[in-house]
Order: sequence, then C-alpha cells, then structure tokens
Amino acid sequence: MDERAFIRLKERPPAMHILKSRPWHLPESCVTPESLVFGRRKAMALGAGMLAATPALAQQAGLPPAMRNTRYAPGRAITAEREVTTYNNFYEFGSHKTISAAAQRMPQRPWTVKVEGMVEAPREYDIDDLLRRMPLEERVYRLRCVEAWAMVVPWTGFPLSALLAEVKPLSSARYVVFQTATLPSVMPGLRQSWYPWPYTEGCTIAEAGNELSFMVVGAYGKLLPPQNGGPLRFHQPWKYGFKAGKSLVTIRLTDQRPVSFWEKIQSQEYGFWANVNPAVPHPRWSQAQERMLGTGETVPTLLFNGYGDFVADLYTGLQRERLWA
Amino acid sequence: MRLIGLALLALAAGLYLGFGSDPLGAVLFRLDPGLLNLVQAVVQRYLLPMLWDNVLLPVLEAPVWVVPLVLGAALTIFGWNRARG
Repeated sequence: MDERAFIRLKERPPAMHILKSRPWHLPESCVTPESLVFGRRKAMALGAGMLAATPALAQQAGLPPAMRNTRYAPGRAITAEREVTTYNNFYEFGSHKTISAAAQRMPQRPWTVKVEGMVEAPREYDIDDLLRRMPLEERVYRLRCVEAWAMVVPWTGFPLSALLAEVKPLSSARYVVFQTATLPSVMPGLRQSWYPWPYTEGCTIAEAGNELSFMVVGAYGKLLPPQNGGPLRFHQPWKYGFKAGKSLVTIRLTDQRPVSFWEKIQSQEYGFWANVNPAVPHPRWSQAQERMLGTGETVPTLLFNGYGDFVADLYTGLQRERLWA
Repeated sequence: MRLIGLALLALAAGLYLGFGSDPLGAVLFRLDPGLLNLVQAVVQRYLLPMLWDNVLLPVLEAPVWVVPLVLGAALTIFGWNRARG
C-alpha cells in the first residue's frame, strides 16, 4: 500500500471521503531520481572544478566581502550611490558630468595592471588576481573635488602600501606615478590629440606609504563602476579629487617627480601637491566651502579635507613647495 | 567680400607654411594650453555635450588651414559671382 493510500485509510472519517493534503506531503513527481541522488558527489565535484577554473566569472558577480574599517569615520553622511555614480569627472569621456553612460563602453575585464620602474620585483597583475591577493577592506572617505563639490563614499579597496610591499620599492624610488588606460575606441576625449595623454598623476613615496593612500576596486559593496574609475583607481582623501587616477593600467616608481596631466595643461591651477586647503583659493573661485552632492548643502572645507591628523607631518619642511594647488 | 575671401586664402597659405598639417586644436593648444579646456567645459556643461563632440571637435581635428581655406574660397566665389552679376 502506498503512503497516501495508507493516510487516507487511517484518517478516513466514518461517513465522508475527504482527502486533505498534509503540509509535509510531497507528490511522487517531486522525488529525486535515484541515479541523481547517488551521482550528486560527481556533480558537486564538477561544479567546484568549474568555479576554480573560472575565478574571473565568480569575481564579476560582485566584490569579495570586505569589513568596514571604522578608523576613518568621515563625520558626514554617506552620499547616495546614485549621485556618486551619475555625477562624474572623467576627462577621457568628456568635460561634462554626465559621462556615466558613455563610460559603460569601457571594458572592465580582462584588465591588467603593471607595477614597474624602481622596484625589486616588477609585476603585471590580472585585476581579479590582485583582488584575491590584497587585503580588501571598506573605508568611508570624503572626496573633495577642486571644483568645490564633495561627496562621501564607502570605497572598497586595499592600502597602496600593501601593493608596494609586494613589489619592494628600491631605496632610490622617490615618486609613484599612476597612468590611466588609453582606449581610443571608447574614449572620445582621446581624439584631442594635443593633450598629454595618458592621464598621469603622482605622489611622493612618503605620501604613497601613508595609511590613507587607498587603491579602490569597489564602491557601495559592488565592483567599482567604470565611470568612477573601475576597475582600479587611486584615492588620497586629503588631496583634491583630480589627483586620483582612474582606470589605472600602470603604476611606476621613479626618482623623477612626474608632471601630471593637468599640471602640463594649466599649471597655475593644478599643481603636483594639490592638498585641500580652504584658505588658498583656486585662481577662479574660492575653496573655503564645498557643496555636498545629493543634499546640495554647503559646508566649510577643512584643511587637508579633515585628515590633517593623519597627513600633516608629511609636509614638515616643505613650506617652500606649492602644497595647496 | 572678395577681398576678405582672398585674405582668408592668404591666411590659409600662411598657416600651411607655418604649421603644415597640424590640427587646429594642436595649434591653439600651443598658443594657449588652457583655452580649449575652458571652451570645452563651457560648451559641454552649459550648452550641449554633443555640440563639442560632433561639431567643434571635428573642426579642431582638421588641419589648421582648412577653416580659412573653406571660408576664404566660399567668400571669394560668392563675391566674384556677385560682382559679375
């Protein structure tokens, strides 16, 4: 006698035939075939093998989990993701803020990053390999644009010092140079052949080694979108935003101070150091205040964007340098 | 009008001798590195992004003598026809 018949028999009311399905009841059609049950180990082994063989696919689905580092609390509310991902400066795609749709044409995989120059162990990383190797964490940083707007973003990434530890800088290395990808087929700005492409930025080796210097691979718990500089950008939150190279393909250590992209074009407005200072105006506007993306609220700008406790000592003895623009 | 056209043709010849076939944008950049960035920002942020990409940029990418040559030729021909008829 099958199970259902037995239940019907046992529960049959004296005068009526009412069939009531129990909550735990499953029809015969739901029973897994024996061959699959006993073949599941084989199937699981096959699935695991596929995942191991295609880690890039697994990574593309999202970032590996990263714990938030609360040491760098921004003291301000996080800006809405939509604002951060739709109001962008990325000169290779144009001078306006609505480049996010055009930036989607920039392929994010495969992507390799070279770390070269004055290092003991130059390397070329596949971006997914880099994600696996580096100690990922989330940091909520303020970002102050030289154009007097600001935002607060939960970035995911790793300290630049962790990457430098792998390649072992030579003692003669004094600067770190960051170069953005040049992809003429998707970047209309590169048609302006008179500009000094690729977009180049840099900092001193001491600034690079500061704990705040952060290589960013994600935002809001997701892979970094191309319009924000995906798959890999740099961020030093005490400097104006243009110092942060986006969509990086080369990181070079050198003993020569680099002349950055904007410095070559308008050195009076965009210098090498570009530390945030509300008391030093841009030649064409004040830097005393900043407009918060999203809320539109205007707030006072802070010296070193509020990160003076972490970085002020980097500039001891450099008063003769043009540290603020 | 014909005189202006002839002057523009002379300018085109002079630019060719001076800059060869360098793009107009490259020549302007040499003369004032910040100029085109400022113009682009005004056009793309306050007017229309496509206006820069599809109209102004092709002009800037063309050899420096193309604009005075085309304008000069047009004005010369127009002025010539007007004088005759």
